[in-house]
Amino acid sequence: MKPTKRETKREANTTEAKPKLFELFTLLARINAVTLGGGYVIVPVMAASLEKKGWMGESEFYDIFAKAQAFPGPLALNTALLVSMKLFGPKGIPAAFLGVVLPPFLALILVSGLIQRYGSLPAFKRFLDGAGAVVPGLIAAMIWKNAAKRSWNLPRIIETAVLALLLILLPASSLPLLLLAIVVFYCIEGLCRSWK
Amino acid sequence: MQILEIIWTFFKIGIVSFGGGWSIVGIIRNEVVPRWVDEQGFLSLIAIAQSTPGPIALNAATMIGWEHGGFFSALAATISVVIFPVIAILAASYLARFLKLRAVALNESLKTGSIAMMLMALWALKPTSGDPLLLAMALGAFAVAAFTKVNALWAILGSGALNAIAGPAIRALLGIGG
Repeated sequence: MKPTKRETKREANTTEAKPKLFELFTLLARINAVTLGGGYVIVPVMAASLEKKGWMGESEFYDIFAKAQAFPGPLALNTALLVSMKLFGPKGIPAAFLGVVLPPFLALILVSGLIQRYGSLPAFKRFLDGAGAVVPGLIAAMIWKNAAKRSWNLPRIIETAVLALLLILLPASSLPLLLLAIVVFYCIEGLCRSWK
Repeated sequence: MQILEIIWTFFKIGIVSFGGGWSIVGIIRNEVVPRWVDEQGFLSLIAIAQSTPGPIALNAATMIGWEHGGFFSALAATISVVIFPVIAILAASYLARFLKLRAVALNESLKTGSIAMMLMALWALKPTSGDPLLLAMALGAFAVAAFTKVNALWAILGSGALNAIAGPAIRALLGIGG
C-alpha cells in the first residue's frame, strides 16, 4: 500500500521503529502494574520507555502530556490515550485503555479481597488507620507545592478563594459549580490577556 | 438499584476529574461519604488507592464498587469513572478543527480550579480524631511530601506500619488514649 502524505509525516516524526498495537498494550500494562504513586510518577516512566522503543521522542511526548492535562480524567490514562491516538489513530484507544486500566483494576480487586478478609484484625485495622491519617497531610503538601509553582495574579487569587469557599459551603452542588467556574475562569483569562 | 447509583455517581465524578489525582479526592468524598463508606474508612481507602498501582480516582472507584456489590460493581464503577474522559479525548480529536480553544487560558483555568478543589478536599478531610499520634503522622507526612522528593507512598506505608506495630505501645508510653 502506498503511504499517504500523513503517514509519511508521522514516520518522519518518530525516529525509526514502527510501533505495534499489542506491544503498546504490554508496555503500558507493565508500567501501570508496577509504578506506584499516581500520574506524576507514571508519566516520566512512560516518556522514557517510549523514547527507548524509538516510538516517540521526549519533546513530542511532553507536548502531548501538556495537552492531556486539559482533559478530565486520570493523567496517566489521558496521556496514554493521546499517545496511542497519535501513534495509531482511534484504533489505539482500546490498547491504551486496557493497558492503563486493567493492571490496577486487578490489583485493587486483590487488595479489596484482602481487606474484606483481614480488615477486622486489630493490627490490620491500625495499619489502615495509620495509613489514612496521612491523607490530609499529603493533600496539604500538594496544595503547598502547586501554590508555590503557580504564577499568581490578583484574578487567580480571587478565583481560587471564591471557588474553594463555594465548594466548601455548597458540597451538594460541586459538579455544576466546577463546570461553571472553569468556563468563567477561561473567560477571565481571555479578558486579562486582551488588556495587556 | 445500587449498581445504577454507583455507575451514575462515578460517571459524574469522571466529568470533573481535573488536575491529576489529589484534586478529585474531595469531590469523591462528597459523593460517597457517608452513603457508602464512613469518614475513617474513606481516609484508608484513599491511602490504599494512592499506594497501589493506578490512578487514584480509578482505584477509589474500583474499591467502592467492590465493597458494594462485588466484582461487577467494581467493573461498572471503574468503567464509569473513565468513560467521560475517553469520550472527551475521542471527541476533541474530531472537533479540534471546528472548536478553537486557547490552550494556555484553558490550562491556567484548570490549574486555578484544581487548587480550589484541593483546598476543599483538605477542608472536607481535616483531621477530627484528636488522636495525637495520628495527628503527628499527618504533620510528618506533610513535611515529607512538601519539602523532600521522597515518594508519598513511603509516608503512607510508614505510618500504617508504625501504627500497626508500635501504636499501642507509643500511646501507652505517652499516656494517651487511642
